[in-house]
Amino acid sequence: MPETGHSSEALLEVRNLSVQFRTLSGSLLAVRGSSFSVSRGETLAVVGESGSGKSVTARAIMRMLAETASISETSEVYFKGRNLLKLSDIEMQRIRGDRITMIFQEPLTSLNPIYRIGDQVAEIILRHRKISKKNARSEVVRLLDEVQIPDPEARASQYPHQLSGGQRQRVMIAMALANEPDLLIADEPTTALDVTVQAEILALLKDLQKSHGMAIMLITHDLGVVRKTSDRVCVMRRGEILEQGLAEQIFNSPKHPYTRHLIDSEPSGRPDPLPKDALEIIGGKGMKTVFKIKHGSFFNRKTLDLVAVNDLSLSVRAGETLGIVGESGSGKSTLGMSLIRLQEPTAGEIKFQGRRIDKLSKQEMRGFRTDLQVVFQDPFSSLNPRMIVRQIVAEGLVVNNIGASGKEREKLVREALDEVQLEPDSLDRFPNEFSGGQRQRIAIARAMVMRPKFILLDEPTSALDLSIQAQIIDLLRELRRKHDLSYLFISHDLKVVKALCHRVIVMRDGDVVEQGQTADVLDNPKTDYTKRLVHAALDTFA
Amino acid sequence: MAGPESASPSGQGMNAEAKAAHSFTYWQLVRLRFRRNAYGMAGLFGCLFIIFLAIFAEFLSPYASHQSNRDLLYTPPQWIKIYDPVNGFQRPFVYGFKEDMDPNTFEITFSSDPERKSVIRFFVEGSEWSLLGLTFNTHLFGTDEGSTVHLLGTDNLGRDVFSRMIIGTRISLLMGLVVMATALAIGTLIGVTAGFFGGFYDLVIQRIVEFFKAFPDLPLYLALTAILPRRADAVLIFVMFAGILVLLRWADLSREVRGKVISMRRLEYVRAAEAVGASNGRILFRHVVPNISSHLIVWATYQLPEVILLESFLSFLGVGIQPPLVSWGAMLNQILDFQSFSAAPWMMSPVGMIIITVMAFNAFGDGLRDAMDPYSNA
Repeated sequence: MPETGHSSEALLEVRNLSVQFRTLSGSLLAVRGSSFSVSRGETLAVVGESGSGKSVTARAIMRMLAETASISETSEVYFKGRNLLKLSDIEMQRIRGDRITMIFQEPLTSLNPIYRIGDQVAEIILRHRKISKKNARSEVVRLLDEVQIPDPEARASQYPHQLSGGQRQRVMIAMALANEPDLLIADEPTTALDVTVQAEILALLKDLQKSHGMAIMLITHDLGVVRKTSDRVCVMRRGEILEQGLAEQIFNSPKHPYTRHLIDSEPSGRPDPLPKDALEIIGGKGMKTVFKIKHGSFFNRKTLDLVAVNDLSLSVRAGETLGIVGESGSGKSTLGMSLIRLQEPTAGEIKFQGRRIDKLSKQEMRGFRTDLQVVFQDPFSSLNPRMIVRQIVAEGLVVNNIGASGKEREKLVREALDEVQLEPDSLDRFPNEFSGGQRQRIAIARAMVMRPKFILLDEPTSALDLSIQAQIIDLLRELRRKHDLSYLFISHDLKVVKALCHRVIVMRDGDVVEQGQTADVLDNPKTDYTKRLVHAALDTFA
Repeated sequence: MAGPESASPSGQGMNAEAKAAHSFTYWQLVRLRFRRNAYGMAGLFGCLFIIFLAIFAEFLSPYASHQSNRDLLYTPPQWIKIYDPVNGFQRPFVYGFKEDMDPNTFEITFSSDPERKSVIRFFVEGSEWSLLGLTFNTHLFGTDEGSTVHLLGTDNLGRDVFSRMIIGTRISLLMGLVVMATALAIGTLIGVTAGFFGGFYDLVIQRIVEFFKAFPDLPLYLALTAILPRRADAVLIFVMFAGILVLLRWADLSREVRGKVISMRRLEYVRAAEAVGASNGRILFRHVVPNISSHLIVWATYQLPEVILLESFLSFLGVGIQPPLVSWGAMLNQILDFQSFSAAPWMMSPVGMIIITVMAFNAFGDGLRDAMDPYSNA
């Protein structure tokens, strides 16, 4: 081993790593001189919000950066005593996928859709080991079994689309384990998965780490995940490591104010008490939404009825926040959209302030649009990129003829921006100039400017960073208080639901699994499904 | 350990999201990216040059397109000279021609005649032309009364090929622009509505598009142009010819646009507009069309050279532009037979203009497409 002067226990030692990106608007320093190390068999969590440079750090170690990126001359990455940054491309290829492996956030796109699962796993093995095809095949089955994929032999000959998201992530893990790596880099491995699946994948990673003795570098924005899995933690912000240390120490006595701020950002508080005599503002009875999916051949055309919402009733009272919780595909968004007629319900009776609105035409519905507003999940796709903030917020005023003159409208738009705590100088800027949290504020301003009585919140915080999430929740709470708003809050995150909702409905496959006061449901879940959801979200020290 | 923010342990300063201090709008980014693309910039200058030629065609050409000289049929190009063995260096000039007839073949051959020298002068007065309702008679260059200059020779009627080529830019480019713009408008309108409304309307539109696309192109063009009235006014024929080209050009675009709109219909900002009560028309023209505009612009810059090529091809066959209008294709029509081609190869020169135009617009289109890629910030 060449003398490198690094401590001998460290498997990976990163020293003074800086990565710079070339962009049109000048160069951008994504990682600024960060140093850390990973010892054999330990789990190091790199925590940070979007743009903190955590993924770039991982990719720099693997030397898988985009062409526009460059690693500074002074950076050193020692892996088992060798400086990875000095290796040739061929030497690096031998290490990648063999000694250091990586799993990514999106299991949907990480697997090649046109090859069988088994062949994709076998390719990794054949590439790095001298082994016969037949032995590789049995090795694949053994690996799939190890990552707890049921019926591994049959699964090996299936294609990625035939597997669920969680199973695909298991396949990715099998591929990462194939050559018994020393270090596994997991880049947000559970972010794209449902909460209950998340817990299973994390448990699997933990088990495998024990049996294989490999080190894991876990990149995540989710403090809950860090708590459950990590030995040591690095906290990153804007390319800098602010604090690192043992997980316990970081959580119990954070030194850097930013770390403290992150830990305090976990949604907290309870919804305001609701007056007993509050009247129903909107309600649906026997709501049913069915998607017709045509399939079969031309001569044998069949229609499959996909029941997204199955005969469900709900009611929201003035000032109340009703939470709808469930995994993806449970029909919660469809229910919300059907209630405000952005999706055509197949059957059911919808009443808004005592008036039936389910039979109204699109034209007639327009009269109700000012009262029924919506905030979408993704603040990046919910704002038209070609309009400035003034146009985006004022659109509702213009189409509904609110405000007699341009001046009056301008005043209303400014008020709305003030209400969501955005500077008035935002008015003439395009959405791409704002961060995720600011964009979500713009989206809320667009809804608020119409002075609605009811807002459908479709996962408004799930695309946001943790600290921003808490601010948006505070904002929503404040707006509710000030204007006596009613919310229908759709979410998969029970922490947020607990902080915001008076009542909650737990949905699965279009049906209600459980409903009641939030505290009752979360404290004493009656069904297994709810128990799993609660366990995954709220039991942080598992 | 604690950063400078330690004074304010909570609030905006804590966020990982740095407030964007300075950023560019989409079109600023496009401009920046485009300017770095040398090939695209060359294309842009090429396009501007062609457009400049078209606008000031009559000023830049020494003669009018119909001005013919019975004495000079099929004369070859004249080279501009500034050196003469007798007088040394002097003002640019060209030599006139001596006509000889081969006694056996009766073929007329031309050779330079140092005796007949015409000096090139700038800003000379010549045939009248008008621009924006004003009439002028100044040309960029020409010769003294009584002598002539034909940089690219003359044609079968003794008309100046250079002048006709420059003036032909006008019709060729106009045809390209008219057809492209009309097809763009029709294709966008049909594609956007079909994609947005879907259902039975979309079904009917798509069958119509397929019907148009199933036609064999060339026979159809020929058949359609054959029904144009031969004796009608040339301008009327131009308009009808453009109409035929449009008829067969909108279909592709409407398909592309329809696909884009279908994927965009489910986007959240379109649904958000619906949620504030915006009408269909508003959603289409405020939200959908602006967001496919980069696609439309790129389509247009690619379409223009294609139409120019098609026009020149059909006019070459004699079914397109009719005299007295001049287009590059119509000029090539004069050398349809091999005999005149071998006798007067300089009449091929509009081909050069077509190549320059097509390459310039394609380079411009390529550059635009790269610059408009929304995912690149490199």
